[in-house]
Amino acid sequence: MTVDVHDNNDDRAALLVHAYVDGELDPANTIAIEQRMTSEPALAAERARVEALRRALRERLPREAEPPALRERVRRAVGIARQRTRPTWMALAASVAIAIFASSTGTWYATMQSPVGASVPDAVISGHLRSLMAPQPADVASSDRHTVKPWFSGRIPLSPRVVDLAQEGFPLVGGRVDVVNRTPVPSLVYSRRQHIISLTALPNASAGSTTPQTVQGYNMIAWTVEGTTYWAVSDLNLEELQMFARLFRAAPA
Amino acid sequence: MSSDDSAARFERIVQPHLGDAYALARWITGDRADAEDVVQEACLRAFRAISGYAGGNTRAWILTIVRNTAYTWLARNRSAVVTTVDDLVAAESANAGQSASFAGDYGSNPEAELIAKADAARIEAAITALPPQFRDTLVLRDIQGLDYREIAAVTEVPVGTVMSRLARARQRLIEAIAADDR
Repeated sequence: MTVDVHDNNDDRAALLVHAYVDGELDPANTIAIEQRMTSEPALAAERARVEALRRALRERLPREAEPPALRERVRRAVGIARQRTRPTWMALAASVAIAIFASSTGTWYATMQSPVGASVPDAVISGHLRSLMAPQPADVASSDRHTVKPWFSGRIPLSPRVVDLAQEGFPLVGGRVDVVNRTPVPSLVYSRRQHIISLTALPNASAGSTTPQTVQGYNMIAWTVEGTTYWAVSDLNLEELQMFARLFRAAPA
Repeated sequence: MSSDDSAARFERIVQPHLGDAYALARWITGDRADAEDVVQEACLRAFRAISGYAGGNTRAWILTIVRNTAYTWLARNRSAVVTTVDDLVAAESANAGQSASFAGDYGSNPEAELIAKADAARIEAAITALPPQFRDTLVLRDIQGLDYREIAAVTEVPVGTVMSRLARARQRLIEAIAADDR
């Protein structure tokens, strides 16, 4: 295949625009492609086309629901009785988990699978999951950053950067202390509609890869600023979690 | 693992994704009744495999089985429509035209306006006309909302391939929808 360098670059830039619209870029690439779209009309036009297409698909071709009888047909096929008179402990535990997290049946499974202290992402996600199971996701519940920040300074060495993003649709819920690698670290809790976002700050840490990742259905984004690595984790979709990360970084402390 | 445990795991792991399974099967087969058959067969495969399932992204796991089942099913029942590997390779490398039209587009954006006006039937026809590997990637992302890593797992290709397939699928779709109106 013969493609000259110019075409090749255009192709790569187009891929970045698509990934940008999909919320799949790390913060550095996000900023880079945002700047290129400002100065290059062809890239801005590609973004407009992709966004128009995504909107048209979302509005006009929503995912078709399965026929009501299919679920029962599948149950019969695998020999599962419709009424379980004797629930196994797993089904029972799962139904309790579902009652707690009406949003995700994967949550219970994820909790069972997270090895405690195995790695930073695992520890961060464990902290997030534990907080979801607690009566409150935050130890200090306040939407006022001037309440949340001092609460931390009385408890741990690192008092995190706390910003107010309520105007942007990410109200502060509060804060809590998580333990990552046997070190107490601050986690801020924000919300987006009914979704909870945990933002854990790790001092003297490197994020390694800053590529967004999905662990058991939870999206995670990490970035490092002045020696502190921030991990944002949520069941929120990646686009909006990326938006949250961008807003948090850009907001004045 | 007892069959009771398998049944409980199946309820917990597979059933929540039945809607996604059906939607993907419907796009691949293009037919609702066929999609139900495919989903049932895929669920049986998943049930047999579930005691050995090590965990991970359950939705990606189910959809991988559904996709493979759907293509096996098509090969068995409708061998004429199955795309050969040669077709796939030709489609993957045919990208020069895309970047040319992409680079030439400045200023106003007539395609975006045409897309905004296109009706569901026209968009659906354009998606159906896409080569299968492009169509699957586009449907998984833009209709079923999977992220790139999940799509890479389901379609069993690297994330870079997902990115290029998705961009080309969208560019073809945009061209097809815009061309309808000219």
